[in-house]
Amino acid sequence: MSTGLSHDPLATSAATWRDRTEDPPAIPDELRPPQGVGVRERHRALWQRHALRRQRAEDVYAASRNPARGWPVSGNRAVLAFFGDLVRSRKKSFALLVALNALAAGSALVVPRLLGELVNRVQTQGAAVEGLDTLALVVVGVVLLQALFTFGAQRTSTHFGQDLLASAREYIVGTILRLPVGRVEGASTGDLVTRVTRDVGTMARSVQWGVPRLLISLLTVLLSVVAMLLNSVVLAVPALLVFSLCTPAVRTYLTRAPKAYITEGATYSRINTTLTETVEGARTVEALGLSAARVRAGSDDIEVSAQAERYGMTLRNVLFAALNGAFQVPQVVTLLVGAYAYGRGWVDLGQITAAMLYVVALSEPLDAVIGEVDRLQVGAASTSRLLGIAEVQPDREPGDRLPDGVELVGEDLRFAYREGHDVLHGVDLRLRTGERLAVVGPSGSGKSTLGRLLSGINRPRTGSARVGGVDLVDLPLEVLRTEVALVTQEHHVFIGTVRDNIVLAREDSSDDAVREALRAVGSLAWVERLPDGLDTMIGSGRFALTPAQAQQVALARLIIADPHTLVLDEATSLIDPRTARTLEGSMNNLLEGRTVVAIAHRLHTAHDADRIAVVMDGLVVELGSHDELIDLDGEYAALWRAWTS
Amino acid sequence: MQDFPPRTATFFSGSDAAPSPDPDTRTPAAFLRWVLGQQKALIALSSLCYSLWFLPMTLGPWIFGRAVDDGIVGGSTAALLGWATLLLGVVLVGAVFGIVSHTLVVRTWLIGLYGALEMVTRKVVQMGHVLPRRSPTGEVLSVASSDSDEFGALTEILARTVGQLVSYLTVAFIVLTMSWQLGLLTLVAAPVLVGAALPLLRPLHRRQQLERSRTSDLTSLATDIVAGLRILRGIGGEQTFGANYDRQSQSAKEAGVAAGIWQAVVEAVGVLLSGIFLVALVWLGTRQVEAGTLTVGELITFLGYGLFMVGPIRTFFEFAQKGVRSMVSARKAIAIFEQRPPWRAPAEPVALDGTGALHDTTSGLTVQPGILTVVVSAVPEQSSALADRLGRYLPADTEPVPVDGDDGVRGRAARRARAEKARERARIAALDEERAGHDWGVTLGGVDLARADLADVRRQVLVSDTGSQLFAGTLQDAVDPHGRLTREQAEHALRVANAEDVYDALPEGWQGQLDERGRGLSGGQRQRVVLARAIAADPPVLVLVEPTSAVDAHTEARIAERVAGTRRGRTTVVTTVSPLWLHHADHVVLLHDGTVVAEGRHADLLAVDDYRRVVARALDEEEATR
Repeated sequence: MSTGLSHDPLATSAATWRDRTEDPPAIPDELRPPQGVGVRERHRALWQRHALRRQRAEDVYAASRNPARGWPVSGNRAVLAFFGDLVRSRKKSFALLVALNALAAGSALVVPRLLGELVNRVQTQGAAVEGLDTLALVVVGVVLLQALFTFGAQRTSTHFGQDLLASAREYIVGTILRLPVGRVEGASTGDLVTRVTRDVGTMARSVQWGVPRLLISLLTVLLSVVAMLLNSVVLAVPALLVFSLCTPAVRTYLTRAPKAYITEGATYSRINTTLTETVEGARTVEALGLSAARVRAGSDDIEVSAQAERYGMTLRNVLFAALNGAFQVPQVVTLLVGAYAYGRGWVDLGQITAAMLYVVALSEPLDAVIGEVDRLQVGAASTSRLLGIAEVQPDREPGDRLPDGVELVGEDLRFAYREGHDVLHGVDLRLRTGERLAVVGPSGSGKSTLGRLLSGINRPRTGSARVGGVDLVDLPLEVLRTEVALVTQEHHVFIGTVRDNIVLAREDSSDDAVREALRAVGSLAWVERLPDGLDTMIGSGRFALTPAQAQQVALARLIIADPHTLVLDEATSLIDPRTARTLEGSMNNLLEGRTVVAIAHRLHTAHDADRIAVVMDGLVVELGSHDELIDLDGEYAALWRAWTS
Repeated sequence: MQDFPPRTATFFSGSDAAPSPDPDTRTPAAFLRWVLGQQKALIALSSLCYSLWFLPMTLGPWIFGRAVDDGIVGGSTAALLGWATLLLGVVLVGAVFGIVSHTLVVRTWLIGLYGALEMVTRKVVQMGHVLPRRSPTGEVLSVASSDSDEFGALTEILARTVGQLVSYLTVAFIVLTMSWQLGLLTLVAAPVLVGAALPLLRPLHRRQQLERSRTSDLTSLATDIVAGLRILRGIGGEQTFGANYDRQSQSAKEAGVAAGIWQAVVEAVGVLLSGIFLVALVWLGTRQVEAGTLTVGELITFLGYGLFMVGPIRTFFEFAQKGVRSMVSARKAIAIFEQRPPWRAPAEPVALDGTGALHDTTSGLTVQPGILTVVVSAVPEQSSALADRLGRYLPADTEPVPVDGDDGVRGRAARRARAEKARERARIAALDEERAGHDWGVTLGGVDLARADLADVRRQVLVSDTGSQLFAGTLQDAVDPHGRLTREQAEHALRVANAEDVYDALPEGWQGQLDERGRGLSGGQRQRVVLARAIAADPPVLVLVEPTSAVDAHTEARIAERVAGTRRGRTTVVTTVSPLWLHHADHVVLLHDGTVVAEGRHADLLAVDDYRRVVARALDEEEATR
């Protein structure tokens, strides 16, 4: 028997094999603190490690922006444009949001002024103070207003944030549903799952809370500065100068922190992945004696994660050093300047009191601004991964020619997944209408690829697959789906009603058509017994179907699609042997009157087909009926003998 | 002083050294005490540093007030500079200890978190295939992914609570000595302010819960769309399911808005109450200043403290909440950590001889050494049960017992349900120990497997079952997980399993990355890499369960021939019904109802009706699908 592959696939083995005694440790030694050296040396080493950790974080971040595998990631500009558009389409509510929050923040800033005024009156007028109660009542009034504005502002923020979020996620799911068929069929969905779960979650947190809160905090800071200046320029300016001293530290932090957090997040997903594998493969681990190796893999992941955490921790520590000073020292400055100015008669005690209250209160919104910018940047990174999905280029431009007839012809079909590595080397195949053609051949011979070309999933590199004279890949999808369908092992039951699950190919199908399809696959009886009939919600977490029922649903979809040609890839897997008997009739009803290409693992499928195509090494080497191929005494005959003797 | 990542050897040391002592798993509280006790010195130190960090908040307003009184109103520059210097000093102490306490608390948190993660991994490998029989995989993973974080968070909140308590008591002392009326007002107001929001929190939480559950439904819809994307893009249905998602997204949005409005109410009420409290404080204070019992500086001090007290009270509430959450997490962690392997090491282990005959009492099967034996059974479960016995694996006949579930149940009913589950877990554990405790019923070279060390059994007999899993890593790691092979051996294994196409598909060859669980490979490719790994392990006795079920006939024929060739002289058992394997078998055994009913060579057995029927049944099933 030939190998099925003409060249030696292991030719490069010596070049790619690696001596594992030379494996690098989980983290380089430079990341471990030196032992037994002086304070100065330790200090120097700490900053060296910090720099190295930054490099690692930059690398992780760069890799996440430019993934080697999986779906693309868009740039920051696309994220800004995306949210810019979303905000622009909500100008009114955005204006309302700003106005109400400004009012809330403004009224909050009036209170310290009035309290200072109270102190003033007590201090200057001594006993027998006039109008204290009135002033107190005014403050209560302002507080009431502030509460009302706060309520209004929060309400608008929620509306705005939630609405923005809903539009963003609906857009993303929309782009997923437009992904090119060829890419979807070929790629693993794991990356997409991560994006629609974790990245949408991260984006949600920053859009829903981050955007409004950042606006609120910025407004508060801005108005606080105005209020401080109105209260007393002399008191405000020195304090504000001290506040501004932390700007460089904050800027550094904000450029580095998101990368640190993204890196931390990546290390935790890695920890999770490794552990999940260990838990799910517990028996394999035990059987192969991999316990120590798996524990080491887990510890290595933790070691890497610890380095990411240390980087984030040092970044925060540097920030705190600046902030703790910048936020607290203004009190001292206010005190000293206040005393000096009071001595000169420039300010009164009320102004000093108000200034102190402002200074203390300012640290909260400032902190919030830093925190929200931080969060928004992490959210932006997730959003860029989500928008990357939209950057996948469509793989076909449907033309306007419709097929004239049902004959499916493949000519000179070649295809490569990797450039220069053709898996098909010019296959010619003319299907006879209504025939059953079995495709057999060793794994890697290209039989699944042939199936994908014949069903219009991928565009051949050369040659063409045509139905009724039109290239399959030039047909609009809605038309293609009613001409030929590729049936794989998957019989996913969607979360939705029974009807939703069946009308896929023709979404405007009438209930009668759905019932007819269900009857054809022998499911009408049990569907009608369901609590809500066709409207019963099925799928994960809803009404559970038995495996046989799920398969019937999958078959009913194809009845609705009603293609004249079916390509069954590993079709035997579509039907679990245990339910095979119950589904025999359903399957026969589906195949009745259609042209069928069955890519078969088992020889008995081939035996019963009208014709058999033996695919070896990207070429059809034998084609004919079972008896013809036996007479030919080639590959197929040899295999058949091995099977039956 | 401890640092992260922690060095632990709980449950499994990975070497000959004994593992470190087990955690206290008697009760959730005892477990949390154990977790905290692991780093009590660190936690005490970070509590101390927290209280020093809070110093500017604790002493600042008082110093400021004194400075106003003595320095500004009193007009003494010396006093002013003195107080200002003190304030600066306090601020600097706070700044320094802010950094120190942050460093320490990250450390305790991560020691807690990483420590729990390590413990989960080590418990999993210590228990091996026994754990999935008892605990749902999801629960083991959630102990690692979320409960471990709770233990980290507990160390932080504990230290912060102690720090805040110190500062609360200090401020209480200061304000009470200045004016007992105002002091009392301040002390009482804080819990009232926090407490007043409580009745509003319940409806808020209800709405947040609804939002969460709708968001999680939304996530499942998105995951569902992605999972079925091939069908949606292949057959159609984008509009239906896109519209379903949009609808759910809108309903999640509505729930979010409803929760947001309550949140707005809570915040507005907070603003109102704290504002009114401040006014009351100042108003009362001015009265006292008027009466001459309070100085202006002291009034400013009160203003400064006015809202400070809310902080500690909030922290105390948070402590209570996180404490409760930690107890829940501890309960889940205990359910995993308290389990013990059922195996008892024999007092005098006998070394196994892998070149001896293998005999199973239950089925009556005898596997002659050095040849390829194929086991044929009409019911695949019976051959895999036999394979399990040959490798000394407990049968997968138990239903894992979850800790969680029945969310709606509270109080006594919940306790009863928990006790019920604990009993069920204990029952399975007792059953396992029963089975593991006496003779196993399988002998290798005449020695019952129970009389040898389990590690020795694993070395002599490798069972590669249908659940065998690939791990993320390079192709080289997958074929040679121990790093013991030469390149030629690995190449040979790959060729025997006819998995060269997997190598060929990876541009980086041996260093090509396989995704977790071999995702990204086709079922047949995965199966062949698993087979290559088993061949490469080259055990004295190799048991392969349905090794080529996902492989096409061409490839299966090739694999059967090559496996038979390479294993010549070593004991090999394959369970399958495929004629392509039977062809190469030295000896074929037919199982019926779990016992051997016929044996011999394939050609001879074809005369036996039962045998013919089983081998031909594969044929029938193929027919049925057509």
